[in-house]
Amino acid sequence: MKRRKVDLKALPGATANAVDERFKVARPLRGILNKVFPDHWSFLLGEIALFSFIVLLLTGTFMALFFDPSMTEVKYDGSYTPLRGQEMSHAYASSLDLSFDVRGGLVVRQMHHWAALLFVAAIIVHMFRIFFTGAYRKPRETNWIIGLLLFWLAFLEGFAGYSLPDDALSGTGLRIATGIMLSIPVIGTWVTSSLFGGEFPGHVILDRLYIVHVFLIPLVLLALITIHITLVFIQKHTQWPGPGRTNSNVVGERFFPRYVMKQAGFFMLVFAVIAAMGGLFQINPIWLFGPYRAAVVSAGSQPDWYVMFLDGSTRLMPAWELTFSIAGHQYMIPGIFWPTVVLPGILTVLPMAWPFIEARKNKDKSIHNLAQRPRDVPQRTALGAMAVSFYIVLLISGGNDIIADKFHISLNAMTWAGRIGLLVIPPLAYYITHRIALGLQQHDREVLAHGVETGIIKRLPNGAFVEIHQPLAPVDDHGHPEELPYVNWTVPKKMNRLGALGPAIRGFFKPIEVPVKPQLPPAPEKEREKTSV
Amino acid sequence: MTRRSADAKDEGMAMTTEPGKGGGLTARMRRLAAPRRRGKVARRTGATIRMLAALVLAGGLYVAVAPATQAADAATLSRSAEDGKALFDQNCITCHGRNAQGVDGKGPSLIGVGSASVEFQVTSGRMPAARQEAQIPRKRTFWDGEELQQNAESLGQYIQELGGGPQLPANVDPSQADIAKGGELFRVNCASCHAFSAGGGALSSGKYAPTLEPATDRQIYAAMLTGPQNMPVFGDNQLSPQEKLDIIAYVQGMKSDQDPGGWGLGRFGPVTEGLAIFLVGIVALVFATLWIAGKS
Amino acid sequence: MSTHETTEVPDGAKAVDPTDPNLTYREVLEEGLRRDEIEIVHYEPQFPVPGTKAEKRVERLVAFLLLLCGLAAIAFVVIYVSPLGQPEEYHFGSNNWDWFTPLLGFTLGLSLFGIGMAILVYGKKLLPHEIAVQQRHNDPSSPDDRALAAGTLGFIGSEFNIQRRPLIKGALGLGGLGLGAAAVVVPVGMLLKDPHKGDPGGHDPYMTTGWNPEAFNNGKPVRMVREDHTPVRPEDVSTGGQMTVFPDVPGGTTNEHADSPVLLIHLRDEDAQTLRDNLHKYPVNAMDGGSMWNNFVAYSKICTHAGCPASLYEQQTNRLLCPCHQSQFLITDNAKPIFGPAARRLPMLAIGVDDEGFLVARRDFDVSVGPAYWERPSK
Repeated sequence: MKRRKVDLKALPGATANAVDERFKVARPLRGILNKVFPDHWSFLLGEIALFSFIVLLLTGTFMALFFDPSMTEVKYDGSYTPLRGQEMSHAYASSLDLSFDVRGGLVVRQMHHWAALLFVAAIIVHMFRIFFTGAYRKPRETNWIIGLLLFWLAFLEGFAGYSLPDDALSGTGLRIATGIMLSIPVIGTWVTSSLFGGEFPGHVILDRLYIVHVFLIPLVLLALITIHITLVFIQKHTQWPGPGRTNSNVVGERFFPRYVMKQAGFFMLVFAVIAAMGGLFQINPIWLFGPYRAAVVSAGSQPDWYVMFLDGSTRLMPAWELTFSIAGHQYMIPGIFWPTVVLPGILTVLPMAWPFIEARKNKDKSIHNLAQRPRDVPQRTALGAMAVSFYIVLLISGGNDIIADKFHISLNAMTWAGRIGLLVIPPLAYYITHRIALGLQQHDREVLAHGVETGIIKRLPNGAFVEIHQPLAPVDDHGHPEELPYVNWTVPKKMNRLGALGPAIRGFFKPIEVPVKPQLPPAPEKEREKTSV
Repeated sequence: MTRRSADAKDEGMAMTTEPGKGGGLTARMRRLAAPRRRGKVARRTGATIRMLAALVLAGGLYVAVAPATQAADAATLSRSAEDGKALFDQNCITCHGRNAQGVDGKGPSLIGVGSASVEFQVTSGRMPAARQEAQIPRKRTFWDGEELQQNAESLGQYIQELGGGPQLPANVDPSQADIAKGGELFRVNCASCHAFSAGGGALSSGKYAPTLEPATDRQIYAAMLTGPQNMPVFGDNQLSPQEKLDIIAYVQGMKSDQDPGGWGLGRFGPVTEGLAIFLVGIVALVFATLWIAGKS
Repeated sequence: MSTHETTEVPDGAKAVDPTDPNLTYREVLEEGLRRDEIEIVHYEPQFPVPGTKAEKRVERLVAFLLLLCGLAAIAFVVIYVSPLGQPEEYHFGSNNWDWFTPLLGFTLGLSLFGIGMAILVYGKKLLPHEIAVQQRHNDPSSPDDRALAAGTLGFIGSEFNIQRRPLIKGALGLGGLGLGAAAVVVPVGMLLKDPHKGDPGGHDPYMTTGWNPEAFNNGKPVRMVREDHTPVRPEDVSTGGQMTVFPDVPGGTTNEHADSPVLLIHLRDEDAQTLRDNLHKYPVNAMDGGSMWNNFVAYSKICTHAGCPASLYEQQTNRLLCPCHQSQFLITDNAKPIFGPAARRLPMLAIGVDDEGFLVARRDFDVSVGPAYWERPSK
């Protein structure tokens, strides 16, 4: 039989044809290929979270093949001899097996945990970026709310994962979680008993958390992340103001090929950092914690870092317990209710409402596609700094016993410092940030009005000294530069070397003195580019 | 040497002198300036001898005149305890008082604390204490090497013969102990204060459970037996000698264990892990974004 | 993706037919960009003269990074299959296996770093620089589109014409309500569990621990045992010592009885006296001759704040510290909370000694153990 010749050259065309006849993709494909994305380092922070999530899915799926959440007691008989013969739950034993008996299991487990820490850390950093640049303003309020939901889901997902291995830290964390659930007024005991299937710890909680951890929350996360990114696509990314950049355009690079190459390369770098950390830094050594026993606890028991701020708020809370009687019955609201249920509630609702509060306060109904520099909105920046400092005091207080021990500070003093700090530091942060923002703005305006400081001092014929400013705008008849309008964008602060001598000192770490030739160096290439846009 | 520097760092104490270095320096100086220095050294030595002679004379007189009961006490002491008494009277008596009866507001009575207690306190450098504070920290030992062992033994013997109390077995050898059992006992009894890693933890108002990093087998044994400072006592009825050895084997084994998952980050738990993800992960990746994308 | 497409030809430009075979790729691209309202305002090859030394250097760098990726990946595979990964038995100390995970992480990280950097360098250094500008459309849909959508929706509503059919309307309300209730009741009902039932003999789990003679020990006082089930005699705990003890009931030392662990403390004479003098300050502990036995006292280990084991016993200051949130309890004053977030005392267990000389709990705790809850009896 004669073989049919395949025309290799026509193959791509033929395939494209076949695909388009079926799916009619030519036009949407072109739109995607051509879509323009703005380029700035701070726009890549969210990607760290996205990429860690992908690593989490990959490593998590692998681990799910070996992990068994059963709480049945078994006698350990694995490779790790210092625990041999110990009674432990099947969940803990299978986590040990995953670490010591599955080839490469430990590196995957550690990568999963580091990726989880990185996931939430990147979410926080990304959220800060969005907040401080005002990128949540109309039309992006929905995506801001989705982002907040993503944070809290990641928080729950992380906590569920932390609880699964059933080591001493997991169990202690779960026990505190019961204490928190019990504190909910009226329904506390009902919620707890229903979730745990009876009294703590019961027999079902790990099975339930497992399905929550590997199915329920990841599913919702995946759905919300998809919506999150789709909205960025549809609404187009915000951009910084600058030459040629307006509220109604996007200046950047086409999606293909540069932008996608950056994304792909960055994904690999995120993956690389997680892999390297997974191998080089030990995380959550469950074999040292031992199996969970209700009577056993270790000094310095902490949750993972993203839960630590709530642990901190719990530690700082004074011992206030509300008791009152209704119809002859005594009822109470335990103190732990406020820092662990009410505070997170406020921390969820308030930021969600913030875009609308701000818009209402400013009577602002317009569409915003330009990011704002933090200094240009001093009030918001200061409020944000206030929130961040509040958060950091709580975060530090979550590890105050470790700090007390390692830095030889009294534990009680640490607690008091946290309590006082929580009230004193945020207002201070507000004031200081507000002043700094205004100061930076002022300096920008100064440069726009008088030009860039050159550091060159000139002596006038009458003996007076003046500093030479390099004008940014054309000068008027008296030689004074015309004042430029303030446009919320970076102002050059370093003199343009055009017309001046070259730098006398070179080198970053060690100055290399080179005798300067008396000539006019050309403007650096970058400067030329900038002016051409 | 590493042990010593670890100790010094661990306690955050300013060491007054570093004898190794100091000795070397003096020796060198002596060689360099021998003729000039000899006179001074000789003068000093002479003064010291005269002073000692006066003290011995005074002490001898005192012993001769002192009440008979105390003389009798002293008479029943063994040879080693006699050495210990001499050391005690030289180094410990200011706080712990005559015949270790204690001095109010300065130091407790040592009657009944046993030689185990003495060995723990002296070999870990806690005694003699530098000053009164929330907790006496471990520091560089007062004596070194062979001398330390001997003096601790003599002092222990003295205290033991004064009032009895817990004693360490001659041989603390955890090599045959059950590490897994020790681990379980460690987690139930010790981890709550010393942490899962034996790295120590904070207690109330500036007190702390110290790290077991520099602790020797005998010191851990003695600590369990005597309950130094705020540590509860774990008598032999509660943790049998074998169980104590099991715990020691676990602690020492864990300390020597190379972390299988890479660098252990001090085994402090989630606090250092959280620090690492920001200082390493986030910092590295933010630098990456700065390189990948534009800055303005 | 782009919803806006303009086919209008701008003034002064000639219409481009994208199917024209004589067009270059660039010309077709620009026609597409024009239709998507994109303009490339700056396009500059990095190496205008091909084959310069600088270009070759970048090419070599990319090649090196790709080779690094490959080599590191091969090293990863070699290490993975090597005998290093065969732990057999893990003993304390330094094992070859201790290097396995770090080496895997290092090689995998290096390999991924290689490919990541190769892609990035290629994109950044070899592809031409470009600055493109795309128009956004911030206006909502056009009035026409809105009117059309609203009209369509209105018509759909009128097709149902539910307003004119009150019977269906009512039935729909009831039916929907029923179905909704069913949807809620099944998952809630499946999970729902009465918190105050479940312990043997109809005891309330929140008020019952393993020390309850009626519920778990046929009415006999429950002995105290250690984690290995051996019963405890008073002389087992030295003065100034403490011991974690469990109820001697089936599963008493396991997490089955997670609210039962107790810290048994042997106080020194003077401290015991102080506590005895203080018992009446908290009458529950003074009931029935007092809950102490000689110099022994037993407190629930479960912190009244969040339920961690409060077990950091300071034998000289007589404080008990909880390591989770640093609540501190004064043992010599009925475990009164003196610092931190805990607001209530640790419950004291009434103890005694049975005929055989073993320590027992005379009865269950007199108050609810562990964290507080809404309906907690304030006895």
